[in-house]
Amino acid sequence: MQQKNKFLLILVLVFTSYSNMAYAYLDPGTGSIILQAILGFLAASVAAISVYWIKFKSIISKIFKKKNKIDKENKSN
Amino acid sequence: MIEEKGSFRDPAGSIYYLNQKVFRKLSKEGEDRLKFITDNNILNESIKDQYLIKTSILDKNDINHKFKDKLILEHEKIPFISYPYEWSFSQLKSAALHHLNFHLYLLEKGATLIDSSAYNIQFLGSKPIFIDVLSIKKYEEGEFWTGHKQFCENFLNPLVLSSKKGINFNNWFKGNLEGIETSEINKVLSFFDKFSYNIFVQIYLLDKLEKNAKKNKSLSLKKKKNKFPKKNFVLMLNQLKNFITSLKCKKNISLWQDYSDNNSYRTEEENVKKNCVKHFCKNNKFNKFLDIGCNNGLYSNIALENDVDYVVGIDYDLNSIEDAFNQNEKYRSKFLPLYFDGSNPSPNIGWNNLERKSFNNRAMFDGLIALAFEHHLAIAKNIPLKDVVEWIVSLAPKGLIEFVPKNDDTIKKMLEFKGDIFPNYTEENFQKFLQNKSKIVSSTKVSNSGRIIYEYER
Repeated sequence: MQQKNKFLLILVLVFTSYSNMAYAYLDPGTGSIILQAILGFLAASVAAISVYWIKFKSIISKIFKKKNKIDKENKSN
Repeated sequence: MIEEKGSFRDPAGSIYYLNQKVFRKLSKEGEDRLKFITDNNILNESIKDQYLIKTSILDKNDINHKFKDKLILEHEKIPFISYPYEWSFSQLKSAALHHLNFHLYLLEKGATLIDSSAYNIQFLGSKPIFIDVLSIKKYEEGEFWTGHKQFCENFLNPLVLSSKKGINFNNWFKGNLEGIETSEINKVLSFFDKFSYNIFVQIYLLDKLEKNAKKNKSLSLKKKKNKFPKKNFVLMLNQLKNFITSLKCKKNISLWQDYSDNNSYRTEEENVKKNCVKHFCKNNKFNKFLDIGCNNGLYSNIALENDVDYVVGIDYDLNSIEDAFNQNEKYRSKFLPLYFDGSNPSPNIGWNNLERKSFNNRAMFDGLIALAFEHHLAIAKNIPLKDVVEWIVSLAPKGLIEFVPKNDDTIKKMLEFKGDIFPNYTEENFQKFLQNKSKIVSSTKVSNSGRIIYEYER
């Protein structure tokens, strides 16, 4: 199997779990459902990453603020 | 009572016509959907906000005996039902944006659309309106957009085809009731076209996933809740909305686009024509009027200024239809320009040839004008003059038809390389054919070359 097909198969296997869909008269198409699952996963990942990024930024800024404070206190003494 | 044969796909309801009125009979499933949208005031608000066609729930006592014990809706009648393959780029774009805006509006109210058929959007003049009340249902958190594939095929792919490749979608769409398939448009687009995020995701990736899903048929889909959160649904609709808003029509060179400005006849000839149309319309006060070869809608506007209620303008030049749709601000709700090739009109298509009606089956006009038109069929397309006259007269009981003689510059140009193979194309024959099917009320000479406008009544 080609590398590209392997990648797509993995995507299919990872993202094909889907919600309890009501029976509809229209066939939504498997590809469309997988695509939406991927987009949903990516959006959730971006959101999760951004939460960690904000946490990471606040920790870093706190460390630097602390360091700056200590430096200022040392200078004033 | 006539049943609409095109309303079978969703078993929740079906359309009937009775005494020029439109009714919808609901099944149990349809009644449940209606209960949800009425209980949540979605029906009335969507109508008030001009997303949805005016709809009322009928009193069971008022209903014809055939409908007894069924819940019946009455809808406002659309003056002329048109199909996406008869729309210009801007009309399909306007319909697509109306669909997306309405879907976003519904999601805010806890509802969603079960499909994305372009046939569910109709035009009241140039104003798009959603006509399928039963497409609205309760939104369940986490559910997927079932109409996504259909939206791409009905709206996105045809618009991308016109915008990125300059290929008109109309004839392709007419050949495939469901629009343009993603696998087909993906083959047409270049490598560089796919650098666009929306084209990459909604066309390239969708096509690849669809093909892979078909290959792996044994794949079992596990059930798990909340895989497509509402915020992602809204984000996807907004991304499509922004992308479609940014799409521009790639216009092709057209022979007739500047016809109103650059035509061969002089101002005084044009004034004679305008006067003819003005008096004809004023004297007859037509309800539904047809302008054959409408160009940018110059004479349609004159008809509307003179007591005509609603005008459908048809022309085979898509650029002219595009201009007519975009320019006609004054009569937005009363003028519907449509793409139409007189030598190959929209046929009966779909299941059993009954789903989408031909132009002739929908043509119920009480008046028409066909100015500088008949020679485009009789000379340019070799259609016998007799057939052309009979067809025009069959479309409305009263009308104005302009006859263009062979010594007119336009016809001279048409015959330059073709040669004169039309010995029967004479004014005498035109009069004879017209008199066979109607009474000639009057005739007015329009130009020195011998153009004459005939008023007929049958």
